[in-house]
Amino acid sequence: MLRPFIEQIAKIYPTAKRYLHVFHGGVFPKYNKELSANQPVRTQIIPNKLILPLQQQVGLAAEVLVNVGDYVKKNQLLAKSSKDPKKALIVPMHAPTSGVIESIEPAILAHPSGLLDMAITLKPDGKNITIENVLNVSKQPIETPDQLKDILFHAGIIGMGGAGFPTYAKIPSRPGQIHTLLINGAECEPFITCDDLLMQTQADEIVQGALITAKALGSSKIICGIESNKPTAIKAMTQAAIGTIVEIKTVESVYPMGGQKQLTLELTGIEMPHKTHAVDIGLLMMNVATFTAIYRAVMFGEPLTARMVTVSGLGFNKPFNSVAMIGTPFSELAEAAEPKSKLDYPLVMGGPMMGVKVKDNGVPITKTTNCVLANPPEPVDMQMPCIRCGECMDACPVNLLPQQMYFHAQAHEFDKVEKLNVFDCIECGCCSFVCPSHIPLVQYYRHSKSELKEIHAEQKAVDLAKERHEFRTARIEREKAEREARLKAKKEAVKKQSAAKPADNPANNADTPKKKPASSAAAAAARAAAARRAAKTNQDSATGSTQTPETSASSEEKMPSARLKAIEAAKQATQQSAQQDLEQGSEKTTDPKVAARNAAMLAAKKRAAAKKAEKVAETESDTSTPVDAVNALDTEKPDQTTIKKDPKQAAKAAAMAAAKKRAQAKIEKKANAEKPSESVNTTNKTEDASPSQPEPSQMVDLTQQTTETDASRKEAARKAAKLAAKEATKKRADAARVTKQQAEAERAETIERTGQVDPVTDKRNKAVEAARQRAALRKTQKNQTNSDE
Amino acid sequence: MSQPTSSPFAHNNQSVRKVMMQVQIAALPALLTHIYLFGFGIVVQWLLAIATMLVVEYIMLKLRGRPIMPFMTDMSALITITGLVFCIPPEAPWWIIVSGSAFALVFGKHLYGGLGYNPFNPAMLGYAFLLISFPVQMTTWTLPVDLSGHTLNFIESAHYIFTGQIPGYSLDALTGATPLNEVRNGLSQGLNVTETITEQTKNQLFGLTSWGWVNVAFMIGGLWMIYSRVISWQFPIGFLGALALISFIFHQYDPSVYPPTSFMLFTGGTMLAAFFIITDPVTASTTPKGKLIYACGIGVLVYVIRQWGAFPDGIAFAIILMNIAVPLIDQYTQPRVFGHQR
Repeated sequence: MLRPFIEQIAKIYPTAKRYLHVFHGGVFPKYNKELSANQPVRTQIIPNKLILPLQQQVGLAAEVLVNVGDYVKKNQLLAKSSKDPKKALIVPMHAPTSGVIESIEPAILAHPSGLLDMAITLKPDGKNITIENVLNVSKQPIETPDQLKDILFHAGIIGMGGAGFPTYAKIPSRPGQIHTLLINGAECEPFITCDDLLMQTQADEIVQGALITAKALGSSKIICGIESNKPTAIKAMTQAAIGTIVEIKTVESVYPMGGQKQLTLELTGIEMPHKTHAVDIGLLMMNVATFTAIYRAVMFGEPLTARMVTVSGLGFNKPFNSVAMIGTPFSELAEAAEPKSKLDYPLVMGGPMMGVKVKDNGVPITKTTNCVLANPPEPVDMQMPCIRCGECMDACPVNLLPQQMYFHAQAHEFDKVEKLNVFDCIECGCCSFVCPSHIPLVQYYRHSKSELKEIHAEQKAVDLAKERHEFRTARIEREKAEREARLKAKKEAVKKQSAAKPADNPANNADTPKKKPASSAAAAAARAAAARRAAKTNQDSATGSTQTPETSASSEEKMPSARLKAIEAAKQATQQSAQQDLEQGSEKTTDPKVAARNAAMLAAKKRAAAKKAEKVAETESDTSTPVDAVNALDTEKPDQTTIKKDPKQAAKAAAMAAAKKRAQAKIEKKANAEKPSESVNTTNKTEDASPSQPEPSQMVDLTQQTTETDASRKEAARKAAKLAAKEATKKRADAARVTKQQAEAERAETIERTGQVDPVTDKRNKAVEAARQRAALRKTQKNQTNSDE
Repeated sequence: MSQPTSSPFAHNNQSVRKVMMQVQIAALPALLTHIYLFGFGIVVQWLLAIATMLVVEYIMLKLRGRPIMPFMTDMSALITITGLVFCIPPEAPWWIIVSGSAFALVFGKHLYGGLGYNPFNPAMLGYAFLLISFPVQMTTWTLPVDLSGHTLNFIESAHYIFTGQIPGYSLDALTGATPLNEVRNGLSQGLNVTETITEQTKNQLFGLTSWGWVNVAFMIGGLWMIYSRVISWQFPIGFLGALALISFIFHQYDPSVYPPTSFMLFTGGTMLAAFFIITDPVTASTTPKGKLIYACGIGVLVYVIRQWGAFPDGIAFAIILMNIAVPLIDQYTQPRVFGHQR
């Protein structure tokens, strides 16, 4: 009712037309559509060469499947990425016509950056030999979205309205999620008429494509929006939609009516919230050309290889529309339109409001190109300061404040620009179009968006680094706290023990409360061993029989004996220190440390004396040598922090001992002759190995009372495992050596038998023999020295 | 000029110079009416102002290191001095307009950064400067022809403006108070407002005083500017609406003290302000709602100053006061963006 009134007013006050559509703002540029709309659609041009870019859309580039020199037919698959289409956006590429692959090399593409990207160059042979139904579609109707997605993926269909998003990824998998399908036939940009003529000539295909999609997705409504400046197209579409659920709606001719959010508001009244996708609110909008491609893919198995393109502009004598092959160079189409003057200015891909100036006029048509525009350059006014007139704000379809965004972008206050919702800007160009000061506003917003992206990425990296650093400091502190807690617990235990039983004599340790049952047996064994050792040192005996079967059997428990000695010594020390504390009345945390250190030193001295005796006594034993050697060689370091290594030491030594035992048993079983050398070898190895152990410390050995934390247990287990692995390799090496030596022996025997001598092996054998003799000699010498002592 | 590097590559052929020219053209009817009713004094003043403008602009652009062209010809200074010229008495001495224009252009525009960067309306700044510095000269208005009985021709006006004397005439016969001033004086003398006004109606042409006709001429020009989208409709409608409303309320309350709405709307510089001064985009609010609030604020303030303030015509101070409030208004009247809740 108000509409005719406004339309009358609009004749004298053109801006009143803004009240005829729902969204805010909009501009009314000079359309010049009659230049190309009144011309018939020309037949397809087969160009001299086709340049097929491998990446025409967001996502991954396609991987080439053909080679240079191959002859390909129309619709043949040329390139496809091997990645999973569900995880990445992949679009295959098919040959638009038959011909020979000329080259696969970087070519300049119709991108604002003008950068080179990989492209297949195809030389058509003009014969257009086609592979029919390359997608292998059957005439079965498509019932589920996944079936449709499959066909669309293999057909390489992307959004042909200009965005180029792969359609198979845009469509949701859940049937019924989309309740309304929207067909975008608006085509609001000046000069472009490709959708107009497509609707005039292929209305049936569009409608059928939409119906197929709606059936697959389970949509109940289909609405098509066409601008009022296309009466013929409206008639054709209405005709094609008779009897179907497709509803044709005429919308006002205003730029940018064809924008997704604007057209959605116009057709359905739904205002899409920012940062949401249409599919999330149950809507799906696609261009008419996309629906045509869907129809052809589903019905005939044709991939997307050509599209309707407008070749128009004020620089052409004969602008036209035609279905151009993907990959046709711009220059060939421009030549067909008879330019008025030489094309020494850059052509524009797209319309004048949102198009892109190509860097080279030979760039190819891609799946998203809808227009080749030639407008000879006109002088442009100089940029003046902003007079704050507010025209830009009146024109913005997203209702932003371009003026404020401009001020803040100029001042590099990008956080304020972001607050003004610059990311909602659709870069339509309405604000720049109306600015009296000729300020290129959209350029400022594009720049702001890229700066903000960079700022966000940097901020993210900074936050991640900060998080990692904080975690690391927390972890270190936690470990430190655990260590201190363990230390404290140990000290408490020591204090408790020393307070409970004062013991002066290392021999009287029968009363010490042992929590582990093994320790008591070990204690008894240790006592016995200590007594024996004492007897030995007193008697200066050098027999290797001090090791009773008991101790040899319980070699693992040998260790606690030495540790027990240290415990006793430490107890004495703490007793003394405790008495001192009582006297002093102070509880310094360092005192137990110092006291223990002193005690450790005493114990160490004692142990050093004992070590010598032990070494003498135990060098000849087979099993316990390594273990006690380890313990004997323990260097005395008054360092409390290595207490936690005790369980590790225990485990390590235990594992080593067990391995040694096994190895020895095997060796004994195999060859008696090897035994002495082997034992010498293992002994040597042990002696070699033990100095390599870091920080073995036994002064305050309270492992029975230690509260092991999870971390320390894990560490111990890890170290034990490592040790076990080391031992296993050593064992394997031993075994290997054994077998090798056996083999050598056998060979030597065979040589002796047969008398054959292989010079190399002979030399090796001689060397081996010499080594063996050396080892035997060493052993005898050692035995002699031992026996001397 | 170089082509734009990225889209859009189309433009609607509007430019700053065009906008300013359109404003200038819209002021022509009022100029002609003024000349017809008050003599040629205004032409002399205008020429003086142009001369001052050229000199001052040139010096300031040079001092600021800016290119002379296109800033010299962007017509924005022309609007400033046109506004100022309409505000001063047509027979004021020459140094009034010269000092006023210089002050307005230097302190009101260039020192803040030139076109587009000044916070205060330059014309009103100059006018306020003159009002405060030279109150006598600013309040002795030339009587219109119908009152004085004599039209000063161009030479006589020039002579008077430059020398302060016209051979053969005395000043008292030519100068007097404006209607607004008369009402104030009347009130202070105990005369009723209605009495003062009815006395004025004796000398009216077709129901309006001379000043009233000048206002009508301004209104015609202003309506044309709204049509051609040079100014926003929120300014005149907000201003005149607020002024009419408040004067109506008070007039109903006590007609003897408060003049009627028609009087308020068609005397002094009301229409000039409504369509030409407050619509200056650089100093006004930028959001649609903000423009309404800004204009209504000015309307209320004008009434307050006229009724209870020290100056007969409070346009200048009302506008300057609202200019101070513009950033605050802009901050809180931002429109709802598409897709957002608020």
